[in-house]
Amino acid sequence: MSEITQVIETGPFEEHPAHPGAGAYVIVAVALCILTALEVTVAYLPALRPVMIPVLIILAIAKFALIAMFFMHLHYDSRLLSTFFLGGLLAAFVLFIALLFLFVYLDRHRAIIM
Amino acid sequence: MAAQPKPLPLEPRNYLKGGGLIGWLTTVDHKRVAVLYGVTALFLLGIGGLEALVMRLQLWEPNNHLISAHFYNEMFTMHGTTMIFLVLMPLELGFFTNFVMPLQIGARDVAFPRLNALSFWIFLVGAVLMHLSWIWGGFPNRGWFGYANLTESYYSPGLNIDFWDISLLILGVSTLLTAINFFVTMVMMRAKGMSYMRMTLFCWAMLVTVILVLLAFPALTVGLLFLLLDRFFGTHFYIAAYGATPILWQHLFWLFGHPEVYILALPSFGIISEIVPVFSRKPLFGYPMMVYSIILIGFLSYGVWGHHMFATGMGPVADSAFAITSMLIAIPTGIKIFSWIATVWGGSLRMKTAFYFALAMIVEFTIGGLSGIMHASAPVDLQQTDSYFVVAHFHYVLFGGVMFALLGAIYYWWPKVTGKMLSEKLGKWQFWLTIIGFNGTFFPMHWLGTWGMPRRVYTYGAGLGWTGLNQFETVCAFILGFSFLLMYINLVLSTARGEDAPADPWDGRTLEWAVSSPPPEYNFANPVEVEGRDAYWLMKYGRGGAREAQMFAEGKIPPVPQNMQAPPEKPIHVPTPSIFPLLIAGCLFMVAIGLLIGWWRIMEIGGGTMFICIVGMCLEYPKWGEKSHNLDEEAPHSLGIDLRKAGLWTFLGSECVFFASLIATYVVYKSRNFGGPGASILEIPLTSGSTFALLMSSLMMVLALHSIEQGRVKWMRFWLVCTMALGCVFLGVEAFEFLGFFQKGLAMQTDLFGQCFYTLVGTHGVHVTIGVIWLGSILASSFRKNFGKSKALSVEMVGLYWHFVDIVWVVIFTLVYLMQQVKGA
Ligand code: HEM
Ligand SMILES: [Cu+2]
Repeated sequence: MSEITQVIETGPFEEHPAHPGAGAYVIVAVALCILTALEVTVAYLPALRPVMIPVLIILAIAKFALIAMFFMHLHYDSRLLSTFFLGGLLAAFVLFIALLFLFVYLDRHRAIIM
Repeated sequence: MAAQPKPLPLEPRNYLKGGGLIGWLTTVDHKRVAVLYGVTALFLLGIGGLEALVMRLQLWEPNNHLISAHFYNEMFTMHGTTMIFLVLMPLELGFFTNFVMPLQIGARDVAFPRLNALSFWIFLVGAVLMHLSWIWGGFPNRGWFGYANLTESYYSPGLNIDFWDISLLILGVSTLLTAINFFVTMVMMRAKGMSYMRMTLFCWAMLVTVILVLLAFPALTVGLLFLLLDRFFGTHFYIAAYGATPILWQHLFWLFGHPEVYILALPSFGIISEIVPVFSRKPLFGYPMMVYSIILIGFLSYGVWGHHMFATGMGPVADSAFAITSMLIAIPTGIKIFSWIATVWGGSLRMKTAFYFALAMIVEFTIGGLSGIMHASAPVDLQQTDSYFVVAHFHYVLFGGVMFALLGAIYYWWPKVTGKMLSEKLGKWQFWLTIIGFNGTFFPMHWLGTWGMPRRVYTYGAGLGWTGLNQFETVCAFILGFSFLLMYINLVLSTARGEDAPADPWDGRTLEWAVSSPPPEYNFANPVEVEGRDAYWLMKYGRGGAREAQMFAEGKIPPVPQNMQAPPEKPIHVPTPSIFPLLIAGCLFMVAIGLLIGWWRIMEIGGGTMFICIVGMCLEYPKWGEKSHNLDEEAPHSLGIDLRKAGLWTFLGSECVFFASLIATYVVYKSRNFGGPGASILEIPLTSGSTFALLMSSLMMVLALHSIEQGRVKWMRFWLVCTMALGCVFLGVEAFEFLGFFQKGLAMQTDLFGQCFYTLVGTHGVHVTIGVIWLGSILASSFRKNFGKSKALSVEMVGLYWHFVDIVWVVIFTLVYLMQQVKGA
């Protein structure tokens, strides 16, 4: 009974190519927790110090991607939306790297002058 | 209150008619908003022009003291700021794009009509505030680029820089909203059949322009935010004595600033690409190349900002990189110029005023482009920078390029906007006087600059040999001023009692000429279908060219085709007027002025009312933009994506750049801690806990969305409450952490680490707080009667924002907290 009313309520518009069920969300959340636990562990393990930065970056990217793809549905929604977001993200990334290079470079340059 | 959009009467009504004053104050029609922008910007153009004339009078003779040096500084600052932010941008984006773009793509309005109105009123607040500082001791006076550390309280104790800073922030908000709005409109609301490669070049130029706005303005926002913190809270983002690098301001400013000059230039390229084919009676030469070169210019313009900073000693590697990218821009720019020339070549030219200005623009802009390439070379720039040579350069591009294009646009589109033809006779007079005045004023500046006359100089000595040219320039500047007076006279006289404009006075090629002049309120009676580039030309003449040749031989312009004049087949829903945009802007004004002059009461009242108004605006149209809104018809290219969702994603893309600028500053500054405890103070266990809370809140959030998608409102409320609770836990831990740091002696003012840490993490905290408030209002509105599955989108929207905030935290947690371990030990 309730199912029928729902169908009527939604009408002919079914926008989403079916979002995942609650189960999938919980799995993603568990994965996020595990990744976070890994991150913290890595940060505290002296043995991993030499590779710590790349490992942490990879873990963060994994978390980032999980949230964006599943919680924010980029994986299911139209590519167009991913393009909007990735465009901004790419610009942000380039800007970040450029500023770091400029400043690191600037610092070294200044050290020589002084 | 929740007024349903009501169907319009079926006979077309001129958009200018009816409604009275209230109608204009509450309008959301893109054409009326455009007119509001246009009138405001043309008024401000007059003011900016007078400021320039005051400067020219002061430079009339050596050792002149007509005005004080202090006032001179105020004049050039206000002149630059006004012309760029209050004249060129609003004329291009607010006026012409707002008016023409929806018509050219065959849409009935922009994607978010009320947001459009809000942009205008916020713009007005910014414009007024910028001038109001005069009451409290003087205009802003540190140049439109406001170089740090001259803008710090120590050197600029007055309120004027506070006004400048906050006005620019407010103008930035207005521009950002406009950019999101236009972006979604152009991507999703093009008429059926209008693929990207059939879009007009003006729309293409605007598409790239708004993308530049979205990606460049956040850098300015961050720069201004730092300045605000420095001035209001005693941080030291730009104070070298505390270890900061004042050059940071220049990087952030020019990171915005050079894209900004292309935000100004690209629309003018678009305008020329409209005018030239129409008056040459030929399709634009090399359309695809034009499109690619616009894209390439947009892309490159993001990577050349350093050419404004050669003199700051960035070092040879950075200098070379920026010199190369800057010179590369000349290639796509050259392509455009050749395309225009090739379009004119062999055309049957009609020498109307609009075309005069377009042709002149091509010449004058080329001169400016050439001097640009000259100082794109770092060693050459060291001679030319901060001299009148640079003043000549940017007036050739901004006046000769942008302003000339805008003058052309005024003569071209004014009949469409007002339904009245402008006087060609006055127009030609204006044209020649503008040409003489402009070149006479600015060309000699090339010489003065190479002879050493510095830019922004108040006066000069008698024996330097600069007097003659300066006097010549001043005379020409007055000729230029007079030519603009003629334009104003023309605009007023012709609009009052000029000849009525037909729908298609110029034998146009694009869709705006298919509707009456002025257009009906709903633009198009029936949805348009487009069959190719130059959509309206095809409708008039079909393919092949036989009819075209015949009509041309008879000297006639064909009437608007029958199907474009047919009465509406279905009742048309246009968005209902709203008072909220005006109210919100009014409240924003109260908040800003309260903050600036320390009148806290007015700030509180304004802030409270603003919140109520925003909620009111959200509740006003429960149906707007939802699935029940007819996406198929209004937005044929939406792929079924709700416009609001697309808008939110666009905003999030822009937010990435905002946070990237903040995070980059943190990384650069964090180890420069003198005296303070430094980053070793950070505690990972505590923050791991709050990170966990935030991640879980995201889970609760998707579960809430899941519930409402299944129609289970009660469950949705439950999960929403959980989300909010976890959000509050996160904020609580943050507050606890901050308190602890205070006790250990780390305040915002302590050192560079402290200020960057609190700014970055605090800004994120503000985002979380906004998220909690947003969630709360969704929760509250879920108790309204008809809340059900159909409202899933509102929940999805807040969810997207919430997850984004979570994502940002993932980055902050890694970069700020975890990586600290690496150096900490
Ligand atoms: C071929 C293309 C261009 C090149 C290579 C170029 C290069 C430059 C360079 C190197 C400077 C810095 C001069 C200095 O301060 O020493 C400059 C300044 C400037 N340019 Fe351009 N430019 C180009 C096109 C444009 C365009 C299209 C516009 C605007 C529509 C523009 C607007 C400006 C402005 C406003 C400044 C002065 C900023 C200030 O210091 O206040 N330029 N340009
Ligand atoms: Cu530049």
